[in-house]
Amino acid sequence: MAVLEMPELTALAPPMILALTALVLFTYDSINPRSTNRPVIAGVAAVGSLASLAVAVWFILAGVGTPVAEGGNGVFDLFEGQLIVDQMALFFMIIVGVVTALVSIASYDYLRDHAYQAEYYSLVLLAATGMSTMAASNSLVTIFISLELASLPSFALVAILKSNRGSVEAGLKYFLIGALSSAIFVYGISLVYGATGHMQLDAIADNLGAAEEMNGLLGIGVLMLIGGFAYKTASVPFHFWAPEAYEGAPAPIAAFLSSASKAAGFVIAFRVFTTAFPLDVMQTLGIDWSLVFIVLAIVTMTVGNFAAATQNNVKRMLAYSSVGHAGYALIGLAGLTVDGGELVLGAAMMHLLVYGFMNTGAFLFVALAEYWGVGRTFEDYNGLSKQAPIACVALAVFMFSLAGIPPFGGFWSKYFLFTGALEAASANPWLLAVAAALVINSALSLYYYSRLVKAVWIEDPVLERESLSQPTGLYAAIVVAAVMTVLILPGFGPVADAAIGAAGAIIP
Amino acid sequence: MVGAFEFAPAIALLPLAAFVVALVFGNGMPKKGAYAGILATAGSLLLSLWMLATVAGGEVYNEPLYDWAIGDEITFHFGILIDPLSALMLVIVSLVALLVHIFSLGYMNAEGETGLPRYYAELGLFTFSMLAFVLADNLLMAFMFFELVGLCSYLLIGFWFRTRSAPSAAKKAFLVTRFGDYFFLIGVVAIGATFGTLTFAGDASFVNEAQSAIDAGETFHGFGAETWVTILGLLVLGGVIGKSAQFPLHTWLPDAMEGPTTVSALIHAATMVAAGVYLVARMFGFYALSPTALAIIAFVGGFTALFAATMGVVKDDIKQVLAYSTISQYGYMMLGLGVGGYVAGVFHLMNHAFFKALLFLGAGAVIILMHHEQDMWKMGGLKDKAPVTYYTFLAGALALAGIVPFSGFWSKDEILYDAIILGLEEPIFLVAYSMGLLAVFFTGFYTFRMVFLTFHGKPRSEAARDPHPVGMNVKIPLIVLGVLALLAGVVNLAPVGKIAGMDIMFLEYWLDGQYTEGMTGLTYSEYSDTAGLDTTYIAGSQTITLLIAGALALGLALAGAIVAHVLYNVPEPVPHTENLGAAREVLRSNYYQDEVQVWIAQGLAMPTARMADRFDQSVIDGVVNGVSSVSLFGSGGMKRLQTGVVTNYAALIVLGFIALVVGLGVYGGWFV
Repeated sequence: MAVLEMPELTALAPPMILALTALVLFTYDSINPRSTNRPVIAGVAAVGSLASLAVAVWFILAGVGTPVAEGGNGVFDLFEGQLIVDQMALFFMIIVGVVTALVSIASYDYLRDHAYQAEYYSLVLLAATGMSTMAASNSLVTIFISLELASLPSFALVAILKSNRGSVEAGLKYFLIGALSSAIFVYGISLVYGATGHMQLDAIADNLGAAEEMNGLLGIGVLMLIGGFAYKTASVPFHFWAPEAYEGAPAPIAAFLSSASKAAGFVIAFRVFTTAFPLDVMQTLGIDWSLVFIVLAIVTMTVGNFAAATQNNVKRMLAYSSVGHAGYALIGLAGLTVDGGELVLGAAMMHLLVYGFMNTGAFLFVALAEYWGVGRTFEDYNGLSKQAPIACVALAVFMFSLAGIPPFGGFWSKYFLFTGALEAASANPWLLAVAAALVINSALSLYYYSRLVKAVWIEDPVLERESLSQPTGLYAAIVVAAVMTVLILPGFGPVADAAIGAAGAIIP
Repeated sequence: MVGAFEFAPAIALLPLAAFVVALVFGNGMPKKGAYAGILATAGSLLLSLWMLATVAGGEVYNEPLYDWAIGDEITFHFGILIDPLSALMLVIVSLVALLVHIFSLGYMNAEGETGLPRYYAELGLFTFSMLAFVLADNLLMAFMFFELVGLCSYLLIGFWFRTRSAPSAAKKAFLVTRFGDYFFLIGVVAIGATFGTLTFAGDASFVNEAQSAIDAGETFHGFGAETWVTILGLLVLGGVIGKSAQFPLHTWLPDAMEGPTTVSALIHAATMVAAGVYLVARMFGFYALSPTALAIIAFVGGFTALFAATMGVVKDDIKQVLAYSTISQYGYMMLGLGVGGYVAGVFHLMNHAFFKALLFLGAGAVIILMHHEQDMWKMGGLKDKAPVTYYTFLAGALALAGIVPFSGFWSKDEILYDAIILGLEEPIFLVAYSMGLLAVFFTGFYTFRMVFLTFHGKPRSEAARDPHPVGMNVKIPLIVLGVLALLAGVVNLAPVGKIAGMDIMFLEYWLDGQYTEGMTGLTYSEYSDTAGLDTTYIAGSQTITLLIAGALALGLALAGAIVAHVLYNVPEPVPHTENLGAAREVLRSNYYQDEVQVWIAQGLAMPTARMADRFDQSVIDGVVNGVSSVSLFGSGGMKRLQTGVVTNYAALIVLGFIALVVGLGVYGGWFV
C-alpha cells in the first residue's frame, strides 16, 4: 500500500493539514484584511478540517498505527519518539477532526455579523492543530507545547466577542485559571524530569527504578501532571473555568472546547499514564495513581451532575454536564489495573467519540438558539418544537444520548464503561463505588436532560414568537451530529473494536 | 413428506390476515369484513381437515419454528405440535368459527348493527389466538395465546361498549380470568425454571423431565419431586379454572352473556372456555404424574357440574340458562380428565363444542325471532312458526341433557363410567361421581324447561305471536350443527363397543395414536400407565357396570326431562320456582358467589391495597422525594462553589491539589 512508502512525516498529515489550513487563512487575511467573505473563509476551514478527518479515517482503515505484527503498517515514531502515530493518536485525531468540522460549518451562520472572520477560523484551526498534535505527543515536552498550542488560541476564541462583557470576562478567567494550571503542569514536568532524568515517555518508564529514592518528588510531580490534565479535561478540582468559559464563549466555541479540547486532554492523560507510569511499577513506588483517578472520577461526575441539576441557564447546564462527562471518561484511567483494562480504557475512548457528536450537537443547538435570539434559560426554550421541529428532534436525540438512554450512542459507551468498571472491580473493589456513582449520576442526569426536552416539546412558549429562520450551516451540523449519534449504534461494533484495539495497543 | 405440515402456520395466520383486512378495509367492504372472515376460517377449516387427514395417515409434527429468546439454560421459541389431539381440536375450532361467521351475517349484519368491521376484526383475532394456542408446542407460547384469547373475549364481550352492563361484564371476565392466569404465569415460570424446558412433547419435554425427576427421587425447594409436580400442576390449573369457568372462578361467565350471542357461541363452544380444558388435555401427561392433582381436578369438576346445574334451574333468560349449562358441562370434562378419562374428556369437549354452538346459535335465532327479547316467559309457541330452529334446538337440547342416542349421552356416559369404576376404589372419586350423576338430573330438567318455555305452549307476548323471519345464513349453521349433535357420538360408541365386543371406539384409537406412527408420550394408554389408577367393576363385571352406569345416567336425565315436561309443557306455564321458597332466592343469587367475591375484593383486597398504598406513599415515595430533595439541596451547594471570583477558584484549585498530595502521600508513604 502507498502509505508504506511515504516518508515518515506524512504520518502526521492530519495535524499538518489543520496547521496548513490555518496558515492559508492567515495568508488570506493578510492579503485581504477585514474580509467578511464568509463562504470562502468558512469553506476553507471546513474543507481543511474535513480533509484532516478524512486522512485520519483513511489512515486508521489502512492500518497506519497498527503494529506490523498485527498486519498493519506499523507505528510511526517521529523525532526519536517525541511524537508517535499509533491507533489511539489516529482515533483522537478523528474526534478532533469531527468536532472541528462540525464547529466550522456551524460557525458560518453564527458569525454572520462578526468582524473577525478569518481570525476566528484560523484560531480554531490552530487550536485544533494543537489538539491533534496532543494526540500524537509522546514526550512531556511535546505534550506541553501542543497543550499550549491548543490553549492559547482557545483563550482568544472565548473572548472573541469583544463587545460582549460576558465573553471578555470568561476569556480572562479562562486565561487566569489556564495560567495557574499550566504553571502547575510545567512544574510537574520538571519534578518528573528531576526524578527520572527524562522527558520522553518510554524513557521515563525505563528509568522509574532510579526514582526509588525520590518517590515523594516523583509523586508530587505525577499529581501535578494530573492537575494539568484535569484542567484540560475540566475535571475537579481544576474545572472551575469550564462553566464560566462555556457560558461566556460563543456557543460553537463552547462546543469545540467541551468536546475536542476535552478529548485531547484525555488522550495525553491516557498516553502518559499508560506509557510513562506503568501501574505496577508505580504501585511499588507508593504512587498508586489509579486511586487518584477513582477519587477524581467519582467527585467529578458527582460535582458536574449535581451542579447541573438545578441550573436555569441551558448553556451552563451543558457546561456542568460536560464536567460530569469528564468524570465518566476518567473511569477509563480509574479502571486500569496491573494486568488489564483495555476494555474500560477503550470504553472511555468510545465515550469521547460519541460525546464528540452528541455534546457538540447539543452546544450547537444552543448556538442556534443564540442565533435566533430566543434567550438563555429553560423557559426561553419553551415550545421551540413548534417552530423548529427538526432541530428539536435532534436536541432530544442529543439529550437522551447524553443521559445514556438506549438506543443512542451514549447508552452503549456508558454501558461499556459500566461493564468495564465492573470487570476491573475484581482486581480493585473500589471500582464498585465508581460503577455505582456512574449509575446514580446517570439517573440524576436524566432529570435535567429531560427537563430541556420537556421544555422544547411539551411546554407552551412564554411569549409569542415569530417564525424562526433555518440557517443552513447550523442546521446541517446539528442534523449530521444527530444522525451520527444514532448511526453510531449499528456502527458500534467497528468503533468499539477500534477503540479497544487502540487501548490494547498502548497498555503494556 | 413435506407437504401438509408446511402449511400448518397458515391455519392460524389466515384469521389473523382477516383481522387485519377487516380492521383496515372493513368499512369499504361488502358486509363489512364478514366475507374476509368467512374465507379465512373456511381456509383454516380446509387446512385443519388436511392436517387431520395427514395425522390419520400416520404422521405427527413437532417442530420449533423460531427462537425468539436464546439463553444459556433455556430457550424460548414458537413452534407447532400437531398430534391427534391438536388436529382434532383445530377442526373443531375452525368449524365452529366458520359457522359463527356465517351466522353473524344474519345476526349482526341483517340486524343493522354498527361497528361491524371491529366485530369481524375481533372475531378474526379471536380465532387466530385460539388456533395458535391449539398449535402451540410449548407452554409459554400457549400462555401467550391463552392471554390473547382472554383479551379478545374481553373485547367481544364488551362489543356493545355504549351500554352500561357490557363494559362491566367485559371487565369482570377479564379480571376474573386474569386472577387465574396469574397462577398460570407463575406455573409457567416455575416449570421453566425447574425443568429448563417448556415444550409439551418430545424427548426434552417438561413432562419427560418431570417423569425422570420423580423416578430419580429428586427434591425441589425442599419438596419431593411428586409434590413439586403437584404444586406446578395446580398453579397451571389456576389458569384453567379461570378460563374454563370452574368453581370458584366461574362468576364471569354468566355475565359474559352481555356480548353478542354469536360471540357467546364462539366463547363457549370452541375458544375461550374450551382453552382451559384443552390445556389440561394437552399437558395431561404432566397431570397424570400427580394423583393428587388429578383428584383435585375431578373433584372441582364434579362439584362445578352440580353447582352450576342447580343455578341453571331458576334462570329466566334463555342465554343465562345456557351459560350455566356451559359451566356445568365443562365441569363434566374436568371430572372426566380428573378420573383419568382422557378420551372421555376430549370426547365430551368435542361433542359439547357442537351442541353448545348449536344451542347458542339457536338461542341467537330465537332472539332474532323474538325481536331481541331474551326472557323465556315472554316466549312460547315458537315451535310451529320456526320449525328449523325448533328441531335443531331440540337436537342440541337432547344432546345436552344426555338422552340416547344424541352425542352428549355417549360422552357423558363415558365420563361417568370412568368416574364410577375409579370411585368404587377411592371414595373421593365416588363423591365427585355422585355430584356429576346428580347434576344429570338437573341438566335434564333445566334443558327441557328451557325448550318447553321457549317453543311450546301458547305465545306469551306480541313478539312471540309475530316472530321476525330468519334467513338461510342462520339456518345453515343450525342444520350443520344439528346433524353433528345427533351423530357426533358415533366416533366413540364405547359402551356398545365394549358390550358387543366391536372395534368401534374410533376416538379412543385416534387419541391412543393407533393411526399414527412414532408417537410416544402423548397417547391415552401411556397416560393411563403413568396415572396408574386402580379401578373396580360392580359385581366384577365390566358389562354390568356399563349397563348400570348408563341406565342411571339416562334414567336421571329422563327423569329431569319428565319433571320439566309435567311442570312446563302446558299451554300456559307458571313459574313453579316460586314454590322453592328460600332456596329459590339462594339459587337466583347464584349462591351469593358474586357477593362473596365483592366482599373479598372490598373487605380483604382493598384494605391490603390501602396499606400497600400507604407504604408506597410514605416510605417509597418518601425515599424517592428525600433523594430528590437531597439531590437538589446538594445541587444548590455545588452551585455555590462557583462564586464567579477567580481568586476563589485559584484558592480552591490549590487546596484541592494539596488535599490530593496529602492524601496520596500519606497513603503511599512518601513522607517517611
